Amino acid sequence: MGFVMDGLDPEPYDRAYSDHQLVRRIAGYFRDKLPLIGLVAVIIVLNSIMDTVLPILISGGIDTLAKGQNVTGAGLLIGGILLAGALSWTFNYGRQRLTAQAVGDVVLQLRADVFAGVLGRDLSFYDEYRSGKIVSRVTGDTEDFSNVVTLSLNLISQSLLLVILTGVLLVINLRLTLLALIIAPIIMLCALGFRRIARLTIQRSRRAGATVNAAVQEAMSGITVAKNFRQEGRIYSEFRNVNEQSYAMNLRSGFVFSSIFPLLVTVAGLGTTVVVFFGGGAVLDGQVSAGQWYLFVQAISLFWFPLTSLASFWSQFQQGLAAGERVFALIDAEPRLHQTGHEPVPTLAGRIEFRDLTFRYNDQETVLADFNLTIPAGQTVALVGHTGAGKSTLGKLVARFYEYQAGELLIDGRDIRSFDLPTYRRHLGVVPQVPFLFSGTVADNIRYAQPTASDAQVATVAAQVGGGDWLAALPSGLATDVGEGGRGLSLGQRQLIALARVLLQDPAILILDEATASVDPLTEAQIQEGLDLLRHGRTAIIIAHRLSTIRDADRIIVLDHGHILEEGTHDGLMAQAGPYAHLYNTYFRHQSPDYQPGSGFVPVRVPLPALAAEQPA
Amino acid sequence: MERREFTVADAARYDQRSPVRWIAMHLLRYKRFLAVSMGGTLLLNVLAALQPTLIGSAFSEVLRPQPSRDALARIALTMLGLVLGTGLVDIIRAYAGEFLAKRVERDARDELYRSLLGKSQTFHNRQRVGDIMARAAGDVTQIESMIMPGLDTLFDSFTSLIITLLFIGLLKPELLLTPLVFTVLFGLALRHYVNHLRPVAGAMREQFGTLNAGLTETVTGIEVVKTSAQEDQERAKFLTAARRYRDLFVQNGAVQARYLPPLLLSAAMAGAFLHGAWLLTQGRLSLGALVTYLALMGNLRFAVGISIWTFNLAQLGLAAAERILTLLREETELDENRAGHSAPMRGEIVFDHVTFRYGNTPILTDVSFRAAPGQTVAIVGQTGSGKSTLTKLVNRIYDIESGRILIDGTDVREWSLDSLRGQVSTIEQDIVLFSRSIAENIGFSRAGASEAAIEAAAADAQADGFIRGFKDGYATVIGERGVTLSGGQRQRLAIARALLTDPRILILDDSTSAVDSATEDLIQAAIRRLLQGRTTLLITHRLSQIRWADQVLVLQGGRVVDQGTHDELLARCDLYRRIFAHHRPAGAPAPELVAIGG
Repeated sequence: MGFVMDGLDPEPYDRAYSDHQLVRRIAGYFRDKLPLIGLVAVIIVLNSIMDTVLPILISGGIDTLAKGQNVTGAGLLIGGILLAGALSWTFNYGRQRLTAQAVGDVVLQLRADVFAGVLGRDLSFYDEYRSGKIVSRVTGDTEDFSNVVTLSLNLISQSLLLVILTGVLLVINLRLTLLALIIAPIIMLCALGFRRIARLTIQRSRRAGATVNAAVQEAMSGITVAKNFRQEGRIYSEFRNVNEQSYAMNLRSGFVFSSIFPLLVTVAGLGTTVVVFFGGGAVLDGQVSAGQWYLFVQAISLFWFPLTSLASFWSQFQQGLAAGERVFALIDAEPRLHQTGHEPVPTLAGRIEFRDLTFRYNDQETVLADFNLTIPAGQTVALVGHTGAGKSTLGKLVARFYEYQAGELLIDGRDIRSFDLPTYRRHLGVVPQVPFLFSGTVADNIRYAQPTASDAQVATVAAQVGGGDWLAALPSGLATDVGEGGRGLSLGQRQLIALARVLLQDPAILILDEATASVDPLTEAQIQEGLDLLRHGRTAIIIAHRLSTIRDADRIIVLDHGHILEEGTHDGLMAQAGPYAHLYNTYFRHQSPDYQPGSGFVPVRVPLPALAAEQPA
Repeated sequence: MERREFTVADAARYDQRSPVRWIAMHLLRYKRFLAVSMGGTLLLNVLAALQPTLIGSAFSEVLRPQPSRDALARIALTMLGLVLGTGLVDIIRAYAGEFLAKRVERDARDELYRSLLGKSQTFHNRQRVGDIMARAAGDVTQIESMIMPGLDTLFDSFTSLIITLLFIGLLKPELLLTPLVFTVLFGLALRHYVNHLRPVAGAMREQFGTLNAGLTETVTGIEVVKTSAQEDQERAKFLTAARRYRDLFVQNGAVQARYLPPLLLSAAMAGAFLHGAWLLTQGRLSLGALVTYLALMGNLRFAVGISIWTFNLAQLGLAAAERILTLLREETELDENRAGHSAPMRGEIVFDHVTFRYGNTPILTDVSFRAAPGQTVAIVGQTGSGKSTLTKLVNRIYDIESGRILIDGTDVREWSLDSLRGQVSTIEQDIVLFSRSIAENIGFSRAGASEAAIEAAAADAQADGFIRGFKDGYATVIGERGVTLSGGQRQRLAIARALLTDPRILILDDSTSAVDSATEDLIQAAIRRLLQGRTTLLITHRLSQIRWADQVLVLQGGRVVDQGTHDELLARCDLYRRIFAHHRPAGAPAPELVAIGG
């Protein structure tokens, strides 16, 4: 019996499907498997009949023996028992095999569909939902759905046994059947009541368990601090307390779980006692035969299992359906990007033009309003401004990660909405703040965008970035395994790899979001050298956080709440003593090697309007 | 006696040589519960086997030439008592089992935790926190379910089998023929089944993991996937993994379908019936006894149904125990050295031809330098150049391989660990704060620090201002009700924590980035206060800090390639010059630095 009770939070993109829709949808997936499903249904019926025949035959055998000592009749019955057993096993075998096949195929199809659905979403979808949730829909929910199909088929076969057997018993004797069935509601009530209590205790002991885990997690992450200050004894005594509490909770839930089976077995035993007594009486009154009496006694133990499974079935079934619903919702979600055409983009010069563009992530807040900016091909533009000024938004719109609400975005004078996105995006090189690496080697990652690139090509670009001496710091050079998500490498190394990846891709437009986190000075120097190389001959949009990058840019654009306040070069803007000088005092002053706390301010004549409080990015 | 960095005086010790011994020793700590649980199970099965006997005698009574209703009622009453008694015994033995399982779980977790606290930093660096969590949470729970219901049910079904056979033997020894043959065949079939299922089920679980891992990667890296237009590559990867899982799923279903024991049981029932009927016709067995016999045969079903599950639990438990033991057995390299050198420090650090490797990877080779008391030494080098490791050798987070590290002229290995670590403070790059109040976090470094001392330290660390900005001030619990701290705030708390212990030697891994100059002003002021009068090894990404340090060490590939003051290095060291290269105004002559006056 499964007690699946994980809490499942609904997501906003969930839609409620009516039962009718849901069934049709599910049936759609099974349509190709119709003959298979039909076969399974037939087999299930045959299987249940055979399972019922077995005790009936034995009871018949007892009657034969009790009456006439007819051994040939008994021999025939034994043959029947063997045959029924063999057939029942064979049918069961067929049912399980065929079910596995049908369910396996359906789930595969479902997973392919839902994965395609996920890939088709634009970036706003990924912003809204944590990756864990998305993954659990694609694999976990489809798995739950398949479990429920298997479970239902098992249960149908068991319930069928219950129904057929009850029918046979009713034909034999009504009163005795009703007496035997007395235990049915009691067992169901016990099982249901137990589930309710169990759910509560599980929640409590889970909570206690989570506290213990949190204590262990905290101690293990902070072990260095504890060691440095010699405070191990203190955290140990704290751990002891939570461990003791969790023990008390676990013990309580253990008692709950340990009570249910003795209870159910006792109820079944009471049922047997009732049937033995009243059945014996019925035999004495001549209402039933001894063999039939035996069948009634046996029936109790045959009833027991399906009844307890039935109690837990309904909630499992609902959860499976809910899982199915979540999967379909993901497949059916409306796309938010609207392309007007699919024109291929064979080459690109890299001229970017925002014309009266308006964009918002959600209804509350407009990020860009009537925004105008033209970046000629080949220019390096550094975007500066506070958090929320709209710097990264510009890059993401050029990458066509989001849909804008009004205005135009032209690339080389053509509407970005008319592009075939895959061919267009091949001309974009994007380096995010924290570059993502795929599991595999450094070389695999450099060649990710150009899977056909040769080892020599990879080695060449890697050597070009930052003079290539960062490769020496990697344990096996280009063959170094980057670990899960690049965890084996430092942030600086990941950025260098991302730069090499883009260099190999050779895009027309570079969009780079500089890391706010600091990188060791030497790696920083290598990244700067790599960046110098990469932006050469391309349009580059850099969301800049480094003083050195800004100073090297062709053009600095100061953004505030989606508006351009000022633009020019570093020296020119410093001389203007306007918003840029103010930003310099706020963000870049301390990056100078000559910085000392409280010093290095530049004069500001024009105060920055609506200066938001400093916020860490 | 094994070495430990931390020990608890009165802790219980367990035999850690093998998983079986270890679990046995844990169980034997609670002999009474063990006795109740096992004795109860034995009694339970005897009572359970009596039930078919009673049913048989009811049949005998009814089928007698002159049956008596009173006798039938007596039998039914006995049965009622028996059923209730059985239930009671069952509950008692189950509760004893629960006590046992939950206590062992608690003890094992405690043992693991204690042992983890005593392990060296080398060990902790090797382990991912996630892995340790999996042991402490998952594996310990696995041991609990191995005992209850695993071992408990295993013993129960085993006893049930033996007692059922015993009762059949008592009925008539020759009736044992069918059940014995059945038991043997059943055992063989079960082994065959488990051997076939295990690899498939294992492969299926693994493939599910692969499927999930690949998918997680695609989803987390979606920006890269989309901008490099590699959707097809990802789709192909996913479909391959999903198809492989589907194949294993079907294979798994086929193996499960071939589970033979139910077929064996029906054959056994037929055999038992044949044998019984034959004896009956010969007049050597009553019909009642035949009914008892058949009902006892039915009891075998319990052992059949439950055994795979319990064997599986037992196996999982043993594997979990083995994993925990691997962790427990790990030797630690250091010990507390309670009897070692203990004295107030002046703060002179000398590295004398120090070499250190991590496994077989050399991290530091032949490093020599001297820091005079009160000096600040900045260490510059790429990731992996050995900077952090170098600083961790000072307070013996790691022990070196060759050479010497002297503090005030005494080798660090001769210092008592308490005295050494008590006077050397570290501010790590990844600052760890505990989810408790701010005051407790600052006071963590010194047990029993007064409120005034904590607030003074916070003020020196430029943290007092923002702490008082919180509604609950120093009592604010970090991480609760949305209280999150910025990097700069965390760093200032760590500085306050270090200031409270007033260390002579400070190791400062100052690599967090301040996003704005105002915060930076505060942090730098706090750091200046912190450095006063202390010897400091400083790892920093801030060019200005490197510039103003008394001495700079340039590390590359674990070797000191140059050392000296900023000006000296700028004049002679290419690597060092490269660092400052992007900060020269375009076209300006090399040595002159940007000067933007306020």
